Amino acid sequence: MKITFRLWVLIICILLALLMISPSFTNGIIVKSIEKNSTAFQEGLRNGMIIKELNSKEINSYEDYTKSILDGVKVGDLTKYEIKTDQGDFIFLEQGAPKITVDNIPKTKIKTGLDLSGGARAIVRPIDVELTQTQLNDLVSVTDQRFNAFGISDVNIRSVSDLEGNKFMLVEVAGITPADLRELVSKQGKFEAKIGNKTIFIGGDRDISDVCRNDATCAGVTGCFPTQEGNGCNFQFVIYLSEEAADRHAEVTKDISLDETGQYLSEKLTLYIDDTEVDSLLISSSLRGQKTTQVSIQGSGSGSTSEDALKDAKESMNRLQTILITGSLPYKLEILKLDTISPSLGKEFSRSIILLGLTVFLIVSISIFVRYRKIKLTLAVILTMFSEAIITLGIAAFIRWNLDAPAIAGIIAGIGTGVNDQIVIIDESLSKSDNSNIKSRVKRALFIILGAFFTIVAAMLPLFWAGAGLFRGFALTTILGVTVGILITRPAFADIIRQVGE
Amino acid sequence: MENQETKGKDWYNKWYKIMLLIPLIIFIISLVYLGIFYKAHGDLFFKDSSLAGGSTFTINGDIDYLSLEDSLKEKFEDVNVREIKDLGTGESIAVIVDSSAQPEDLEQEIESILGYELTDENSSIEFTGPSLSKNFYKQFLIAIIFSFILMSLTIFFLFKTFIPSIAVIFAAFADIIMTIALVDVLGVKLSAAGIAAFLMLIGYSVDTDILLTTRVLKKSEGSVNQRIYGSFKTGIFMTITGLLAVLPAFFIITTLPDSFRQIFLILSIGLLADILNTWFTNASIIKWYADSKGIK
Repeated sequence: MKITFRLWVLIICILLALLMISPSFTNGIIVKSIEKNSTAFQEGLRNGMIIKELNSKEINSYEDYTKSILDGVKVGDLTKYEIKTDQGDFIFLEQGAPKITVDNIPKTKIKTGLDLSGGARAIVRPIDVELTQTQLNDLVSVTDQRFNAFGISDVNIRSVSDLEGNKFMLVEVAGITPADLRELVSKQGKFEAKIGNKTIFIGGDRDISDVCRNDATCAGVTGCFPTQEGNGCNFQFVIYLSEEAADRHAEVTKDISLDETGQYLSEKLTLYIDDTEVDSLLISSSLRGQKTTQVSIQGSGSGSTSEDALKDAKESMNRLQTILITGSLPYKLEILKLDTISPSLGKEFSRSIILLGLTVFLIVSISIFVRYRKIKLTLAVILTMFSEAIITLGIAAFIRWNLDAPAIAGIIAGIGTGVNDQIVIIDESLSKSDNSNIKSRVKRALFIILGAFFTIVAAMLPLFWAGAGLFRGFALTTILGVTVGILITRPAFADIIRQVGE
Repeated sequence: MENQETKGKDWYNKWYKIMLLIPLIIFIISLVYLGIFYKAHGDLFFKDSSLAGGSTFTINGDIDYLSLEDSLKEKFEDVNVREIKDLGTGESIAVIVDSSAQPEDLEQEIESILGYELTDENSSIEFTGPSLSKNFYKQFLIAIIFSFILMSLTIFFLFKTFIPSIAVIFAAFADIIMTIALVDVLGVKLSAAGIAAFLMLIGYSVDTDILLTTRVLKKSEGSVNQRIYGSFKTGIFMTITGLLAVLPAFFIITTLPDSFRQIFLILSIGLLADILNTWFTNASIIKWYADSKGIK
């Protein structure tokens, strides 16, 4: 068989798609999130590390991990854990289980949606208020900050809108109970700065008249440095307090003693979001009893590389600024939709869908063979279906699309239209009663295929907007599938058929 | 052989207009049925909690779903309980509870009946508020209309002649109407995924119509009847393969997400309706058109 240009295109696309999907065969389990004030974090354990051994037992699955946790050596109230990861070994003491969440290492880079991987999803909207896009972006940012403050990192929050221009916030979290999600969402993002138990100022324009943002002279990352666990970066930005808040500051600080260095006050200014401490700042001794309207807020970010640390610091600064500007949300949120899918059911579903995909492949192949009685031709159809599936999955992995059950139904349906097109090509090119030349037959087949392509794309388009885009995945994979078909696999298939025909 | 073929041609020439009546009658029956249905229920579909508002619980494990339903019915009128079986072993692996009730109320009641707590390990909960579901339902219906209009425009653009285009569009419309009618007859509670499937059906069902129309209008070899028969051979095989591919989702692999199953159910009903509407409705109209235009 001659490998034509179109076949080369197909082969290269399949290879690229496989590279995107890149199956992984690493043993171990991956750290999904870690509490920032835990001993494990202090010892340097981080998100994304792969745990190979726990307490000298080899870890290959989530089940291994949960079993081995029980074997930790007790040291008084605490338990000693020895963890070997792909990036070094860690030994730490912790009360109870390590404050981390772990998961099996994903076998491929294909991301599955909540209905297949388990987790919770909420669609949220403020009660009785129409938000502008900027306000909605602030809400997303504040919510993100709050989830982070609660140590939930595997979260995806974004703004969505529907056909009528209604705006919603969509929150998707893996590994959270519906009660927790409900509570987190219903809280309003209250920011407080306290000295001792006295509140000095709260977020919002009553206490804070201005926050320096996007201005390098008064806001920015001040420096980066190596730390025990990797790298850290400090940030700093200035806020301007109202007269009233400044008075409170003076009143509260005037009786506080200096610390042993004499440079700072012995009590710190502590920042809380929804009553959880997020940071504490030293107060310079010169500010004692002073009516100060200008306060410098500091904080830090960390990461394994200096780039990561810089990025983390910038993100933390941005979130903190948002919360200081917006204060607690000036409206209540209502949960319009809340779905939680159990991970074990999701696993069962994933297994069934894979099985179904294989069955469909088999049935289509048999039916093609029964109809045409040609092995080579059947193989060509199988090859085409297979390549279409691989390339579509590859693109989905590349754009990091979460494939939910409807999206996978879309892939199967897309391949279905592919098979239809191939039947048209076969019938047009093998038709014996037809005396017209091959050129006009191919032209006709192309017209039918293009027609079918444009109608399915046109019919699926409205799904991108309807219902807050909940079925965007379904529309996307269908359109992706038929597009891959028309541009890549169909031309290659036509070449194969021509050679089989000869 | 030659004689038989001529006989076949005569048969089709004589009967094709009558053949148009069959789908037309079914179409009218469907419309009437939908009219009655609409009057009785105030809507075109039975809707599940994703479109009507309410909660759906999926509880893992082998649970006696009938007694659960009986117990729940005492407190919640519109509750509906189904089970999911693993076809390989015949074991019940989960039950699905659907109701318009608030999730907290339903959860509490289920917990007290089953005697254990529902956690995110042993159960899944989907809740949609009534205002959102109403809003989404309306939008999905608008999406169907948009989708149909976009498809129609594409068909006009492709064929650029009035009657053949209208024939294709009417066939697609009849597909949708008949599918909705059958979905209602079967008592299916439509979910949001089901509506998404209707959009796909709009795009998918016109494949064979495009094939037929192209072969009849753009091909010059053979008679019109031969071309219709040729496209029938190709098209019916396309549809049958499509149906075969959809069937295992119902008969072989039963533990699929509901959204997935409903997409496949609606596609298969639609494909069945499409056999009728392509090869009776559309074929008859296009032959009528070809004959009257003197297309040979």
